[in-house]
Amino acid sequence: MPRQVLEDTLTADSIAADTALAASGDGSAFERLYRTHVARVHTLVRRMLDADEADDVTQDVFIRAWQKLSTFRGESAFGTWLHRLAVNVVLARRKSVGVERGRFLSEDAPIDGMSGKPVTPELSMDFEEALARLPEGARQVFVLHDVEGYRHEEIARMLGVVPGTSKSQLHHARMALRRHLDR
Amino acid sequence: MNDIWMNRLSEYLDGELDSTERAALDAHLATCGVCFATLGELKRVVARAQALEDSQPDKDLWPRIRARLTPEHGSAGVGGARQAATTARRRFTFSVPQLLAASVALVLMSGGAVGIAMHQQPSNTPAPAAARLHERGMVAAASWTGTTDAAIADLQATLTQNESRLDTTTVRIVRQNLAIIDRAIAEARIALQKDPGNAYLNLHLADTMRRKVELLRRVNDIAAQS
Repeated sequence: MPRQVLEDTLTADSIAADTALAASGDGSAFERLYRTHVARVHTLVRRMLDADEADDVTQDVFIRAWQKLSTFRGESAFGTWLHRLAVNVVLARRKSVGVERGRFLSEDAPIDGMSGKPVTPELSMDFEEALARLPEGARQVFVLHDVEGYRHEEIARMLGVVPGTSKSQLHHARMALRRHLDR
Repeated sequence: MNDIWMNRLSEYLDGELDSTERAALDAHLATCGVCFATLGELKRVVARAQALEDSQPDKDLWPRIRARLTPEHGSAGVGGARQAATTARRRFTFSVPQLLAASVALVLMSGGAVGIAMHQQPSNTPAPAAARLHERGMVAAASWTGTTDAAIADLQATLTQNESRLDTTTVRIVRQNLAIIDRAIAEARIALQKDPGNAYLNLHLADTMRRKVELLRRVNDIAAQS
C-alpha cells in the first residue's frame, strides 16, 4: 500500500473510530475530534460572523456536536457533518442577533465604502481583513459560495432569500474584494 | 460600472447564464476592455477565496467546551466500565469497518473492561450476532479486522527496518507497549469469539487496534527523523 494512501486511510479511519467512541460517551475521543476540526470550524465562524464572536460560537458548535452525535448516521464524513452543523449554528446566531445591521445590500449600494477608489499597495489591506469588512449578507454569501462551495439554491434556502439575491450579493462581494487582491 | 454586462460577470464566470446570454456576453467581452479586465480580476478573487487557509483560534477552547459537556453524554476520560454501560444505552448509527487505527494509556485503562465484558452474560436476545450489531449500525469485527491487520503488518515491517535508528531505551519501551496492546487485542478477540455481537467488545477491539497503528506511526516518524 503506498504510504500516502495508507496515511490518508488511517487518518480517515482514526476519525471514524473517534466518532464512534465519542458517540459512546468517550470524552477523550471527542477531544481528539475537536483538535482535528477546530481550525476549520473556527475559521468558518470567524469569516461568517464577527471575529469577537468566533470563540463563543465555535464552543457552541462543538457542544451541539456532542449533543447530536447520536444522530450522526455516517452517511457523510464526520467533518462534513460537523461543517454543516457549524453553518446551521452560525445562521441561528445570525437570526437571534437580529436584522438591525442591514444584512443585505440593495442592488446598487456600494459596499462599505470599499469599492470606491483604487487602493495603493501600501494601503491595501489583507484579503481576509477586506472580507471581514464586507456587510454581513454579502460576506456570508461569499464565504458559503466561493470559500465553502455551496450552490446559490442551497445558500438561498439557508439564508431565507431568493437565489437572485444570493447571486447579486456574491457579485457585489467579489467586486469589492477584487480591489484587495494581493499585489 | 454602468455597463449592463458588468453586473452579469459573476454569473458568466460561474456558468449560470443561458446560452443566448452567454453568447451575447462573449461578444461584448471581445469589444469591452473594462469588462474583460474586470472578469480577470473576478477570476482572481475566486481563486484567492479557494486558496484561503484555516487557522487555529488564538486560545485553546477545549477546557471551556469540556466543562460544558453534560454528564449524560459522558465525560472526558471516562473509564471502560462506564463507557461500556453508556455504549449499551446509545444507538450507534455509523459503521465499525472504518473503526481502525491508536496511546497506550486507554488500553491499560480499558483492558480490564474486556474481562468485565467477558464475564457478563452474552445478550439474551435470540438474534444472531450480525443482526444485533446491525441494529446498532455496526458490522462484526470479523469482517473488517483483516484490512487493519494488513496496515499494522506494513507499519511493523517499516519499524523493523528503522529500529536501528532508535536508541535501545526507546526500542525497549516501544516493544513493552506493543506487547501490552497485543495482549489487549488478543483478549478482545477471544472475548469476541464468545460474543461476536457485543458492541462494547467490537468498539474496544477497534480502538485498541487504532492505538497500535497510532503508536507504530509515531515511532516510525521518530525513527525517520533520527
